[in-house]
Amino acid sequence: MKLDGSIEVAAPPAEVWAAIVDPVALAACVPGVRDVRAVDERTFEGRISAAVGPIEGDFSFTSVLTESIFPDRLVVAVDGTDSVTKSRLHADVHASVAEPSAGRTDLRYDAEITVKGRMAILGEMVLRATAGVIIGQVTKCLRSRLETAGASATTPPATTAE
Amino acid sequence: MKDAYDVVVVGGGTAGCVIAARLSEDPARSVLLVEAGPDPRPIPDVVADPKRQTELVLQSPYVRMYDVERPDGSTFPLLSGRIMGGGSSVNNLAAVRPMRADFEAWAGFGGAAWGYDALLPLMREIEADPDFAGSPIHGDAGPLHLERPFRFDAPQDPPVRALIEAAEDMGIPRCDDMNAPDPYGICSSPYNSLDGRRISTVVGWLDPARARPNLTILPETTVTRVCVGDGRATGVDLVTPDGRRSVAAGEVVITAGVYHSPQLLELSGIGREAELRRLGLPVVQPLVGVGENYHDHAVVYLTYEGTQDLREDYVIPKVRLLARSDPARPLPDLHVFMRPSIRMEGVAPLLPVSLHLLEHRSAGRVTLESTDPEELPVVDAALLRHPDDIRAMLDGVALVERLTSHPPLSRFYGPRVTPGPDDDVEEHLATTYITYHHGVGTCRIGPADDPGAVVGPDLRVHGVERLTVADASVLPTAPHGNTNLAAILVGELAARRLAAA
Repeated sequence: MKLDGSIEVAAPPAEVWAAIVDPVALAACVPGVRDVRAVDERTFEGRISAAVGPIEGDFSFTSVLTESIFPDRLVVAVDGTDSVTKSRLHADVHASVAEPSAGRTDLRYDAEITVKGRMAILGEMVLRATAGVIIGQVTKCLRSRLETAGASATTPPATTAE
Repeated sequence: MKDAYDVVVVGGGTAGCVIAARLSEDPARSVLLVEAGPDPRPIPDVVADPKRQTELVLQSPYVRMYDVERPDGSTFPLLSGRIMGGGSSVNNLAAVRPMRADFEAWAGFGGAAWGYDALLPLMREIEADPDFAGSPIHGDAGPLHLERPFRFDAPQDPPVRALIEAAEDMGIPRCDDMNAPDPYGICSSPYNSLDGRRISTVVGWLDPARARPNLTILPETTVTRVCVGDGRATGVDLVTPDGRRSVAAGEVVITAGVYHSPQLLELSGIGREAELRRLGLPVVQPLVGVGENYHDHAVVYLTYEGTQDLREDYVIPKVRLLARSDPARPLPDLHVFMRPSIRMEGVAPLLPVSLHLLEHRSAGRVTLESTDPEELPVVDAALLRHPDDIRAMLDGVALVERLTSHPPLSRFYGPRVTPGPDDDVEEHLATTYITYHHGVGTCRIGPADDPGAVVGPDLRVHGVERLTVADASVLPTAPHGNTNLAAILVGELAARRLAAA
């Protein structure tokens, strides 16, 4: 299963890169994540709960930053297991940054997800949309943090109501 | 177990259980039913209780997966039931008849005996459908009990009511009887259950026959070959839990399903000559149609941001839309289901909608990787390959977009998430389609002078006497509906022909 997307951030590429290679910042942006534990400077573990109709389960995962070559190649490998079918999921997430105009970043990402086990039966019904939404939320959350941080540092507070 | 039987039925799936039960009604006929999977008794609750359907499919040992590749290299699983009753023991219990047009299409291959009028009496004999007592097209005394959890005249959940109102406002009518010859519209789904318990062909046919002394049931046994001598089937080679052995048969009936029936034929030297030679198998009877003509139904999911949770039972959806992807299409060619929400903390509920295309204009194939009978055959499903199939699915997506944005249904559905606003819808279809698990056609019927035919209209294999194939693999095209009832029909038809022979 392949997913891809891009997002534009009002912050320079180096700042965006610094945020996505930081496991603590990244983990804090995963929606609904629990029991986050930073294993080392490249690795964090966590757990996401999800429910579909009558099924409720946890997805426990480890996320490892396996490559980071600014600005073209960042690779995060995610391995996990779900509590219902004990299927094994592996995702390779690639990201790159570019500077379309000064001080702005175009963050591109794609993910290749493979599932071994019965969870594959729910792949297109459940996994694609949830994985897409999680990745989308992570990038939006990173953007919002970066832009807020940037705004507080460089932009004077607005004085008039719009 | 004896050394010889009048009939050996290979595969205790949907049709095999029907045939073994019917043929053993005559106490003078000895019948052996062989099934590769288990025959757990009493039937486990996870099989019998449709409320546990998700657990059955995701966690039980009774489902087998066959990975199929899409052209982009990604994969999705086909499924089969590896348990007595086959698909009827693990499927979602949809008791949906083929449409009249499907029978007429089959009659084009098998003659008038496969037409609607010829087979209506048999369809009536299969079922007991108290919702239509006294109807000239429904049955009231057959082994397969039908029930419908949804009634238009009963109080309805708000999202279901909204779906019906939106569809009606768009000019799509109510359809009280999905099993009418030409159904169309918002349908109440019929299920083969009685008081909420599954009526598989084990419950409906095999269990009442088990005590017969002339019926032997052999589970967890794989047939590795049909033995052919002097142009006729003479028996089968088996691997039982106790070892290998051979059994002689007056007639061999293959009911191993759309994947394994062609596999067993080719392992027995009956099939595509080039394939047999490639695998180093003897050529007993060349038949170019074995394993070809795979037809199925493609499924695609769209996912929307939901304004609230939908907790509707998605396994047994009470209501489905039977729609035309384009008003100009001669037949309704889509099932559409609202699926329950996916719920995650910190994220709005996600609402999937599934589209099931009931037509398949290209044909796939089943081939073997090796001569090992335990190795799963390889399926090229060839779904969403024909431009008209892609067009119909794209039209279906547009229909679902109109439906979900139409009041009052629009109260529940927000923006579409998958495919997203920037995604190419056609690419989404091509890279994410899965199957409705309705494979048919790999041993299709047709007259002897039809090169693609594997069996004649009487289900006998061309060129080999006393050998029958009798499961959904004989159907030349996938019907405009779910396939289990059609598989039961093939079983009943085969049993009657064999009993009369």
